[in-house]
Amino acid sequence: MVSDLRVGIVGAGYIAGAHAGGYAALPGVEIVAIADPVEAKATALAARVGARPVTSLAELLTLDVDAVSVCTPTPTHSSLVLEALAAGCHVLCEKPIALTLAEADRIVAAADAASTQVMIGHVSRFEPDHRRAQELVAAGRLGQLHMSSQSITSSAPGWSERGWLTDPQLSGGPIVDLAVHSFDYLAWLHRSEPVRVSAFASDTAAGPSTYAVVTLRFADGAIGTVETSWAHPPAHGLQVVTEVAGSAGRLDWTYSGVSLGSLVTSDGAVTHLDPLGSRGFRAEIAAFVAAIRDNTAVPVPPAAGRAALRTALAALESVRLGCPIDLVQERAA
Amino acid sequence: MSEVLGVALLGAAHTPHAMSYARCFANDPATTLVGVYDSDAELGARVAERFGTTHHTDLGELLDRDGLDAVVVCSATAEHRALVEAAAGRGLHVLCEKPIATTVEDAVAMIDTCERHGVQLHVAFVCRFYPVVARVRDLIESGAIGDVIGMVGGNRGRPPLPPQYPSWITDTALAGGGSLIDHSVHVVDAMRHVTGREVTRVHAEVDDRFWQSGVDDMAALTIEFGGGAVASVDPSWSVPAGHPWSYDFFLRVVGTAGAISIDDTPEALRVSIAGEGMRLVPFGVDIDAEMCAAFAASITAGELQRPCADGVDGLRALEVALAGYESAATGTTVALGADRSR
Repeated sequence: MVSDLRVGIVGAGYIAGAHAGGYAALPGVEIVAIADPVEAKATALAARVGARPVTSLAELLTLDVDAVSVCTPTPTHSSLVLEALAAGCHVLCEKPIALTLAEADRIVAAADAASTQVMIGHVSRFEPDHRRAQELVAAGRLGQLHMSSQSITSSAPGWSERGWLTDPQLSGGPIVDLAVHSFDYLAWLHRSEPVRVSAFASDTAAGPSTYAVVTLRFADGAIGTVETSWAHPPAHGLQVVTEVAGSAGRLDWTYSGVSLGSLVTSDGAVTHLDPLGSRGFRAEIAAFVAAIRDNTAVPVPPAAGRAALRTALAALESVRLGCPIDLVQERAA
Repeated sequence: MSEVLGVALLGAAHTPHAMSYARCFANDPATTLVGVYDSDAELGARVAERFGTTHHTDLGELLDRDGLDAVVVCSATAEHRALVEAAAGRGLHVLCEKPIATTVEDAVAMIDTCERHGVQLHVAFVCRFYPVVARVRDLIESGAIGDVIGMVGGNRGRPPLPPQYPSWITDTALAGGGSLIDHSVHVVDAMRHVTGREVTRVHAEVDDRFWQSGVDDMAALTIEFGGGAVASVDPSWSVPAGHPWSYDFFLRVVGTAGAISIDDTPEALRVSIAGEGMRLVPFGVDIDAEMCAAFAASITAGELQRPCADGVDGLRALEVALAGYESAATGTTVALGADRSR
């Protein structure tokens, strides 16, 4: 198939690799270039997917691309998204949308004004487990939703360039970088946004507020809880526990519970066979590409990314002030 | 004191638990069920008959009987105090159903009265008697996970509605509230028990959207413990009919050097009966029997045996539940511990 969509990826780190895998799996999509100021990283990822390494978005935008994935540290998101939009590109911006509501607002406004689209990479919505649960909820199988909870726990991420992810000034810590997945997912399930956020957090060796429990009251009256952690030992891996209860039923699943099997070797190592793998990123990229090709609305617009960030920032504020934070209800995401 | 401990059941309004404890004391060779008191003659007779003992509608008449060493109180929560104080006044040791009371004032009075009369006051926090909870406590005590940073726990269940349960459990005046006070006390007690820490702040969201039973049936508590650990507790009656389990108890703990996760539901057979769906049939230890045996052993030993919960444990868990209701009513975070009389 002849390529009909030329894409570029800004950033060449861990998540950029996941995006690259998603584009590479799609017929007719050509990954034109990978941009990263760290040339060795750009070169390595570019070589893997047959793209050209470049050092900046500006250079990438000279290569006639239709769409750009922004997979860079969070504080750089808004200016890169605006730069790509100004060049007439569609943009898939990694979550969280930004570190501040002001930056998120710039993205929302620029996307509204542009003829091309911006999607925020809330990959949870595309994971097969999360998606099947949402389908059941949306079909009304659980009746009216009353409660939900999600726990995503891991050790401190060690893969980021010069450790930006573990610097709360650059990433916002797990409340902003990790729990934002749950804030987006639960709001999507409930089709409602929080009106009150209460968070208690612990400082750990991974940094300030790197373990937190957050309680949400949604505008429709339902209650949600979120556990987030970078404080678990590395062997814990990434664990996800989700529960949803409604007037007519209840569902739950865990990552350990959906492991399809395990590999045990004579050195004592146990490897769980992960059924999810890269399916979430593959589906997310496919949905972004489909929206561009079909000229339909992207499934996760900037307003949804902004709403999840708003909840995360309210949780941080709740920790700081030691009291619940009331949020004025804005338009539904 | 005779060799076999005589135990009377005072109040059977918390009927499933009353039946279970009566069974435990009747079956344990170290104890005997001396009699049953309930102001409801029909209920008292039903329980007494099941276990081959006598029933009384006159409390004093039962408490005056020979061979009585202790009582187990299973009345409506608001009536615990009168029964506990009557038993303590006769020098009888007490095992009191949870929550200990509906008010701090009642709980403190019960503790004071038992202390004054030199009798033991136990509170029925059965979750302490899961062997895996003891394991968690030992692991934390031994430093296996370092200092505790955070916890998430839950005790979810079916709504305690008639006919299986008496109507008082969903009457705020008699029960103190709904699911929050009914279930959170188990989880909060387990968290206190395994960490040895006390709660310092509570926030709660509380509502009644599941069952229209007149009391709260769903809640999420956010809790801060002294020493910096934070926790979340789900005490909701959020389990629908036909679910594989009717009640659960789970606890996840993370510390500076490790993490522990326990859940009582996997200790069960998966049983499918045609047309009835899949049910989990537990094969875990009988924690009610373990608790009743430890109560008897404590009386014999003259002091509380690990891991029995005492009146102050009951009071602390009650304080957290009441703080949860206060938080929900005021929309604020409630601080605990500053003005304790006990």
